[in-house]
Amino acid sequence: MSGLTRRALLGTAVRGTVLATMGGGAAFLVQKAHGQVVWQVDAARCINSRLGEAGVEACNLCTTECVVALSAVRAVNEYSKCGRCNICPAYFNITSAVDDLGLPSEKLCPRDAIERKPIGKVDPEDPANNFYEYIIDEVKCDGCGKCAIKCKEPLGLGSIVLKVRYDKCVNCNRCAISEKCPKDALQQLPVGQALR
Amino acid sequence: MQYRQVQMIGGKFHSAVRGLATDSRGWLYAAGDSRIQVFDPAGALQRQWTTPRPPHSVAVAGDGSVYVGQEARIDIFDASGKPVRAWTNLGILGPVTALGFVGNSVLAADAADRAIRRFDLTGRFLNHIGKNNPVNGFLIPNGVLDFAVDAHGVIHAANPGKHRVERYSPAGDLLGHIGKFDGNDPAGFTGCCNPTNLAVSDRIYVTEKAVPRAKAYDFSGKLLAVIASSVFDPNVKNMSIAAAPRGRVYVVDTVKLAILAFEPVAP
Repeated sequence: MSGLTRRALLGTAVRGTVLATMGGGAAFLVQKAHGQVVWQVDAARCINSRLGEAGVEACNLCTTECVVALSAVRAVNEYSKCGRCNICPAYFNITSAVDDLGLPSEKLCPRDAIERKPIGKVDPEDPANNFYEYIIDEVKCDGCGKCAIKCKEPLGLGSIVLKVRYDKCVNCNRCAISEKCPKDALQQLPVGQALR
Repeated sequence: MQYRQVQMIGGKFHSAVRGLATDSRGWLYAAGDSRIQVFDPAGALQRQWTTPRPPHSVAVAGDGSVYVGQEARIDIFDASGKPVRAWTNLGILGPVTALGFVGNSVLAADAADRAIRRFDLTGRFLNHIGKNNPVNGFLIPNGVLDFAVDAHGVIHAANPGKHRVERYSPAGDLLGHIGKFDGNDPAGFTGCCNPTNLAVSDRIYVTEKAVPRAKAYDFSGKLLAVIASSVFDPNVKNMSIAAAPRGRVYVVDTVKLAILAFEPVAP
């Protein structure tokens, strides 16, 4: 990073902050040298998020294969894409029985790692009238992908995807997930590209 | 009540089919790519013309003129496709994803501001419909706001985030709604946000995404029929739907870029 200008350094830091806000833990990347490579999930390849893969079961290899406790791969909600729906298929088990409020009675996440809270102008009488924010609890999430595959288009908007959390990844030379991933979705990226 | 597929119009579109409408003769108007295509009831292409921008919606007025909704503009053509006038300086339109008529006014759905705009025939703005009504207005995560007008001048609008079809007066009063979420019962609307599109004639027709379905309801909200489901590509969304005489229903498959026609089977 010593070769960076002050302007470039600030730009890199700002981008890192934005990604960190998205849940990427990317501030750690800013401390890494340009030219170094890091692992990341390519959403266009990941079976849990890529388009045209309707009706498949969630792949949980990121959970079962990663050497890091729980997994260095976690679900991330990119809020700019999120529809803030009343009934989010990534939060609710939408085929469970409907309760008295008209909502599915079961949650989807087996670790209860998503928080749902109304935002904006709230109608306390009718939950269907409200917008909701869905916040992923990084401590609970193990990257199983169940929420990501339900958020995938066309059922959802594709805002929830799996990402390698750089603050958790130990950056193995041979990523154990990539060894097993059937879609070759774990890719090594230069730090600069990962920040972009 | 059951429906059967009677026609498929395919191979006519390159990148998108976004809007459908029918006229009083039952001819079909399809807005897609950057043009309008007109098909007779046998599915034969009768005429077509280009539009200034990729069209999102189309509607045919009582006098036969054709209104085409695009990004921030509405273009009006005569029945032959000759441009008559364009409303380009309205200042209050985003993507116009649905068009309709009630009395001497034109209705345009603005999917950016999540409201239906009502204009007089000169393009003068009259009032909003459904904006923030009753709380937060139309919730349209799919980016499309669709509505249709029944024979009594009541506006039926899809509110997919609320899993409802809402009824409005031309003045903008919310009159009521049908529908509710249900992930199992086909009478309900499933997923995050359905129905996405609708049409109205003697009943209410809707389409849903994931699982894709076209369905018919009566005006009280009773499910009359699942018109079709498995014939659609599983990745479709925002399937425009139009009603024609004798109960025929046209539905767009947005992945196959085809229009499928269905008719009720005689009991």
